Amino acid sequence: MQFLREVLPNGLEIIAEITPSAISTSIGFFVKTGARDETPHEAGVSHFLEHMVFKGTESMTGEEINRRFDDIGAAANAFTSEEYTVYHAAVLPQQQRTTVELLAPLMRPALRESDFITEKLVILEEIRMYDDQPPFGADDRCRAAFFGSHPLASSVLGTVESIEALPVELMRDYHRRRYSPTNVVLVASGAVHFDDLVQSGKSLCGHWEPVDAPRRTLPAEPHGGLQNIVRTSAAQTYMVRFSSGPDGSHPLRHAAMLLANVLGDDSGSRLYWELIDSGEAEHAECHYHEYLDAGVFVTQVGCAPEDAADVQKRIEEIYARAMKHGIEPAELERARNKIATRVAMAGERPRQRLFQVGLEWSHSGRYRSASDDLTLVEQLTMNDIELVMATWPLDRLAMTLIAGPSGETVRRPFSSDGS
Amino acid sequence: MQSLHNHRLSCGAMLLGESMPEIESAALAIFTPSGAIHDPPHGCGVAAVAGELMFRGAGDRSGRKLIDDLEDLGAHWSQSVSTSHSLFSGAMLAKHLPAVLPIYADIIRRPELPFGQFDQVRDMILHELRASEDAPAHRLFTALRSSYYPDPWGRPAEGISKEVESLSIDDIRQHVARHVQPTGTLIAVAGRIDWPQVVDQMESLFADWHSTKATSPSETGTRGATSGHIYHESQQTHMGLMWAAPPYSNEHSYEASAAIAILGGGMSSRLFLEVRERRGLCYSVSAGYQTHRTMGAAVCYSGTSAARSQETLDVILAEIQRLPQGIQQEELDRVKARATSSLVMQQESVGSRAASMARQWYHLERVMPLEEELARINRISCASIESWLSLNPPTDLTVFSLGEKALEVPSAVSA
Repeated sequence: MQFLREVLPNGLEIIAEITPSAISTSIGFFVKTGARDETPHEAGVSHFLEHMVFKGTESMTGEEINRRFDDIGAAANAFTSEEYTVYHAAVLPQQQRTTVELLAPLMRPALRESDFITEKLVILEEIRMYDDQPPFGADDRCRAAFFGSHPLASSVLGTVESIEALPVELMRDYHRRRYSPTNVVLVASGAVHFDDLVQSGKSLCGHWEPVDAPRRTLPAEPHGGLQNIVRTSAAQTYMVRFSSGPDGSHPLRHAAMLLANVLGDDSGSRLYWELIDSGEAEHAECHYHEYLDAGVFVTQVGCAPEDAADVQKRIEEIYARAMKHGIEPAELERARNKIATRVAMAGERPRQRLFQVGLEWSHSGRYRSASDDLTLVEQLTMNDIELVMATWPLDRLAMTLIAGPSGETVRRPFSSDGS
Repeated sequence: MQSLHNHRLSCGAMLLGESMPEIESAALAIFTPSGAIHDPPHGCGVAAVAGELMFRGAGDRSGRKLIDDLEDLGAHWSQSVSTSHSLFSGAMLAKHLPAVLPIYADIIRRPELPFGQFDQVRDMILHELRASEDAPAHRLFTALRSSYYPDPWGRPAEGISKEVESLSIDDIRQHVARHVQPTGTLIAVAGRIDWPQVVDQMESLFADWHSTKATSPSETGTRGATSGHIYHESQQTHMGLMWAAPPYSNEHSYEASAAIAILGGGMSSRLFLEVRERRGLCYSVSAGYQTHRTMGAAVCYSGTSAARSQETLDVILAEIQRLPQGIQQEELDRVKARATSSLVMQQESVGSRAASMARQWYHLERVMPLEEELARINRISCASIESWLSLNPPTDLTVFSLGEKALEVPSAVSA
């Protein structure tokens, strides 16, 4: 296992975690841009642009791109989040160069108006698809209400209205501002030929002109409260609950991940034993997410509409009890063991390492191997967990969104501003 | 070179293994022949409740202790039910496998099936069924599969709410006693394993396990309607289509599967290019191959706004009907390249390997080495696909839709 890094004169970084014995190679372009970098007029443009990238360049049509990825048997895809847009492909090692030759030009897409009009229809279908599915928009609404005027309030998909109103010129301008080589990292993992990767990077990306791509970060000022979405036809009630955690550069972020595992992993956690095993709720999980300037504990629950008020109360009680009495050493040890297995198994798959290495680097400019991650998790103590609970208590300021057939069965959660 | 092993345990269950010395982890998959086809008439959901209840205490462990002990070993466990089997699986660091195996042996052989947990488990299954009512594509495919396959092979493995409500603990206990048995059970382990040690340990854990006389129902029961619509309040209309394909064990299954992939697998498939990329009609459109032991099927799906759904269905039907008119070499080359790299990359996942070995044994009564499977893919030609399609054109489609308004299905395609 080896980590290598190179920076091109125009600012593009190339990094690789090399495992010579790996069966496959994964390659990705990580662009440090996402929903948080959009103005209100651009809402949804990062994700729409991610689709448009696959519509081709000046010299290659979208169909050609799709065909050429399939020609080399690539598992290629892309995703957009609040902070990143990532284009990635997993291939057999002998396809490394061809894969970079395919992916790199896509970062300079043609953005043709005719493609833009057709793809807009696809984006609108994607928005409708998610709107028809649980949790019926409660996640986006909860994020928006919790973060208020902070950039992390933005929805990745945007809305039907923002997408319909978006002109192609705004997307071209956004692309020019955000896809600067200084804002992009070329990442590879698995069986990587690094010299060849750098050579490909130089010849394919070396001519990209850098521009200033600043990013606005500011402390979050979260809001608490309770809101409803009524879907009369819904069979279940869905809850999404946000509360604060350490931000992505805080030393306690790994302890926060461990705490979320103890409280709300999909098996063996407190939420599991108290709500799932008992048959009270259909699903109940808690996860920790980190961003540049904020962190959140996100709780997601589904239950029968008639039980929604009780389940909501139980969750607040479970969190309040944990904050007051702490967690057991055995719970900490169990969560640690589960995470250790997860880290080790991810370490065996270049596809998963690509995201871990690429996102960590894009976020912090640091590299950690899978075994560094294991050591980190092993060194966490009860004291770290207690510090997280003392600094970001889950039973204080929380925003809860409830989507279900009726808006009347819910009680007010613990919140300090009572909105 | 792969290192594959198999050993018939003295109880009759089949033990399969793949040693992957480069890897730190190990996975276990136990398939017992106790799937939803064995649910009694009006008792759809027995297998689903049984699978869950088996984790609620076994041997001398309570349900809580059982899961705590697994998780103390860092094991990721899961349990699910399919049409033909119940699946109990786990993934862990390889050094913990010897400690995990006895816990699974208890779950399979000595489940407590406690009456005190029965109501909670039934409620859990009812919750899952209620949640699936909110998932449009899931609802659609539950109806489509149950209409397409001969009963009981299309029954929803997760159960039917009103039938689950009427189950008793005795139904569950009878099911487990009769169908969780060595004959037909497949146990697969993959990862950094010591095969002789695994064999010894499994023999000692399973040697005195006895078979029952239960057998699987035939695959010749009655089928449902060939078209239908489910009302669902939603912006999008969802459509699902199924037609016949040979089972995996059939000599032409690779041709059939390649033809279906050319139609709707991957981002350069005919459906993806025509329906999504050129016309922008939808976000999701795809076709895939699925198989039971003696019958397979092609399954196609799309979902789009109500106003554009009829056009979407019409374009999909036209593409399906065009399939027997010929396959381009480059289309086949792409399908082969995708299949090859996905098979090779499966070697990176111990969980996929364990499950895949067990499935192959179920269909072929052997595990096909990777090299042989790659050679089989390589032998597919345009001519062999076209010849199969000319004898088996996609006709007699079963077409279901879900949404606020039904779609028109031309009578010519749905006999």
